[in-house]
Amino acid sequence: MLITKLKSREDLQSLLPEKVFVLLCNGCKEVSFPEREIEELISEFLTADKVTGVLTTDYICNPENLSLRLKRRRAMIDEADGVLVFSCGVGVQTVSDLLEGRAVYAGCDTIRLPGFQGVTPLEYDCGQCGQCYLNLTGGICPVTACSKSLVNGQCGGAQNGRCEVDPNMECGWERIYRRLEAVGRLDAIKCPTQIRNFAIDANKSH
Amino acid sequence: MENYTKYRLKSSEELIQTLAGTDHIFVVACNKCFKEFTSVYEPECDEFTALAKAGGKNVTGAIRVDFLCNKTQTLGRLRDIVPAETENVFVISCGLGIQTVADIVQLPVFAASNSIPCRGHHGMALTPKTCDACAQCYLNVTGGICPVVDCTKSLLNGQCGGAKDGKCEADPTKDCAWEKIQQRLSKLGRLEEFRDHPVQLRDYSKVNSKLIRDYVHTIRKKRFEGYYGGVHPSERKEMSEHVQLVRFPEPDVVVIPLSMHAGKPSVPLVKEGEHVRVGQRIGEQAGFIGASIHSSVSGTVLAVEERRHPTLGPGVLSVVIQNDKLNTVDESVRPHGDIEGLSPEEIVEIVKDNGIVGMGGAGFPAYVKLQPGKPIDAVLLNGCECEPMLTADYKVLLHYADDVIYGLRAIMKAVSAPRGVIVIEDNKPDAIAMLQEKTKGYENIEVLAVRTKYPQGAEKMLIKKVLGRSVPSGGLPADAGAVVSNVSSSKAIADAIRLGFPPIERVVCVTGERVHSPGNFIVKVGTSVQEILDFCGGIVGDDVTVKLGGPMMGIPQTELDVPVIKATNGIIAYEADHTIAVECIKCGRCADVCPMELFPLYFAKYVETGNIQGLKEQNIMDCMECRCCEYICSSKIPLVTKIREGKAAVRGMK
Repeated sequence: MLITKLKSREDLQSLLPEKVFVLLCNGCKEVSFPEREIEELISEFLTADKVTGVLTTDYICNPENLSLRLKRRRAMIDEADGVLVFSCGVGVQTVSDLLEGRAVYAGCDTIRLPGFQGVTPLEYDCGQCGQCYLNLTGGICPVTACSKSLVNGQCGGAQNGRCEVDPNMECGWERIYRRLEAVGRLDAIKCPTQIRNFAIDANKSH
Repeated sequence: MENYTKYRLKSSEELIQTLAGTDHIFVVACNKCFKEFTSVYEPECDEFTALAKAGGKNVTGAIRVDFLCNKTQTLGRLRDIVPAETENVFVISCGLGIQTVADIVQLPVFAASNSIPCRGHHGMALTPKTCDACAQCYLNVTGGICPVVDCTKSLLNGQCGGAKDGKCEADPTKDCAWEKIQQRLSKLGRLEEFRDHPVQLRDYSKVNSKLIRDYVHTIRKKRFEGYYGGVHPSERKEMSEHVQLVRFPEPDVVVIPLSMHAGKPSVPLVKEGEHVRVGQRIGEQAGFIGASIHSSVSGTVLAVEERRHPTLGPGVLSVVIQNDKLNTVDESVRPHGDIEGLSPEEIVEIVKDNGIVGMGGAGFPAYVKLQPGKPIDAVLLNGCECEPMLTADYKVLLHYADDVIYGLRAIMKAVSAPRGVIVIEDNKPDAIAMLQEKTKGYENIEVLAVRTKYPQGAEKMLIKKVLGRSVPSGGLPADAGAVVSNVSSSKAIADAIRLGFPPIERVVCVTGERVHSPGNFIVKVGTSVQEILDFCGGIVGDDVTVKLGGPMMGIPQTELDVPVIKATNGIIAYEADHTIAVECIKCGRCADVCPMELFPLYFAKYVETGNIQGLKEQNIMDCMECRCCEYICSSKIPLVTKIREGKAAVRGMK
């Protein structure tokens, strides 16, 4: 899942043309969306006569429905010098494609959360590495739970169970050890050395 | 459409290797997500089970689960299902599902599948666009083409120079992203802007693990607070919440339908030409589930004829009365004394005589609720008004707090409940403070502020939140030891006891971006919706959706010459949204938000395929039609319509 974070006012101000049409996506706001901050910003823009129109809607990543919704606002969009989109990166890209020939601006930065789209953010994360190690690690993912994504055991840098890179994190390999011990599978650690194949590529596999 | 299925089975060789040394296997398979929902059958579970059996393994069982990573749901599904003889669990899912199961079962868990690698997050529609969530969006600079996911090397400051004929040197199947960016920018005339832009540096430290973990922790806590699921539509209450409650001008004519409640329509007691008075009974209750009807004005009956009804459509027998505007009160309207002097039976009788029904929208006869026939631990008053936009209950709380409390005390006495709880969402702090102040003198009444979340005010959610109990499937609140009533109904009960007035008027909120001047009014039952909207300055613009009730559960109106009835809490008008339904993509959001913990995607699928048995297995009858699923559906499927069809089909089968 994703968090969208409003870009700084300075960033936006320096970027934006005189008049913008504003597109606000609330589709994933059940997770995190800076609704209030964006509203404030829009009302500021409105006062400054910067806005030709606002469309608050959902799932702008769906081009079919987005184009239906934009159709009625053609005039407002035509009147503007650009379109300012508050959404995740997928949304901005979809709008850019749909309104080709128009300057489209991203109002937000997108930050990754554990778990995939659609689900409430999870405690678990999956790096979609394509070569699941969970067999050998008692079901705790070394790719995401270890900040170095080590797949053959801990680096040795952990102190008091904390990761040396990020002391806010528990050492993933200590967790794995404890889990394996609890299910009586410590021998799994003695498996052959694992080699991560970075050549497994999403774009090729699709 | 792209297929973003998250896993595929590991190779047979690897699986055979993994299976070696294990036996007594239980198989858990995820039904996949983010692919078109064309089939409910995913083959991997059977494939793997066959492979294990061919290897001489004892398979103790197998289960196919939807959205395995949804821990709450998965916990429920896996409870008591893994046979005791099981020694190992094999999971077919993406890494999220496997980790979820590994956390739940106390057995060795093995992965029988690999996640399919994918660069970045796709959206909620299956298009080829993805976002790497890098925390520093570059799309502003690149004309809306992402250099992080589209360039194999994720270069941020222009191409590497290795592209040949527009193709990436690292992967000749891909277009060079920077050539695309250059073309796009040149078309937009933004090349110069790009050149003038400072060099971009990617800051990998922007993704802070603590921030994310804390966020995940809080969002999960919030999400599961009180009950599972629910949604947070924009509240939009500001349009009417600060508008003073005023009395709506006397209408010239009222149309009072003889059906304003669940159950049988009432029988008319008056004829054309007859004179009626305010509070006079004009419709006799018919059947146990039913309610009597009273005149809201004094004047002459113009007709007893079929008229259009706001929820039932055309052809509902109604009493049409010309208002003489004298408000002559009927002699039957007289106070019934005080709660102390009334027996529980007398209270029930008063509520019945006055035709009081659930005024939150459902219109269920209140006197039936007041005879639960079971011990009641608490009476819950719903002052949540969790529907976006509406501010009718809010106004009732602020203006009639004493009546609301009086009504609650009457209900508590009627059902011998030791405890009364007034539940109000935390977006109404002034109402909470006022009710807290006014209930100070009553030891057995408390005010509970709950988080704003839809459908907080639904009976079953309130009971779960306040009493921590679930109403059994197909059961009533009384089965969980509770009686739930709306604050407006409570006020109506107070009016009936204290003044003798039946519910002939109510607070109606008129709001929405397309209402010229939103407001809150005390409206006589039978007043025309058109008249009320005209009074508010009419509807602005065309292409407007008008609903009676809130945007979530309100009933859309095509014609506005319909009367306000006892259960009409709002008239809203907002811009119509035009979308088309596309194929379900199994995004799982409906299952994530359903407060009844159902899987609405199956309802749509099974209604289409006529699989009534499947509908029953998915517990379609437990659905309360709160519309959370339809609201969140990323494919814009009219789920509630499908569910109603499905329920009708299941009922037909019985």
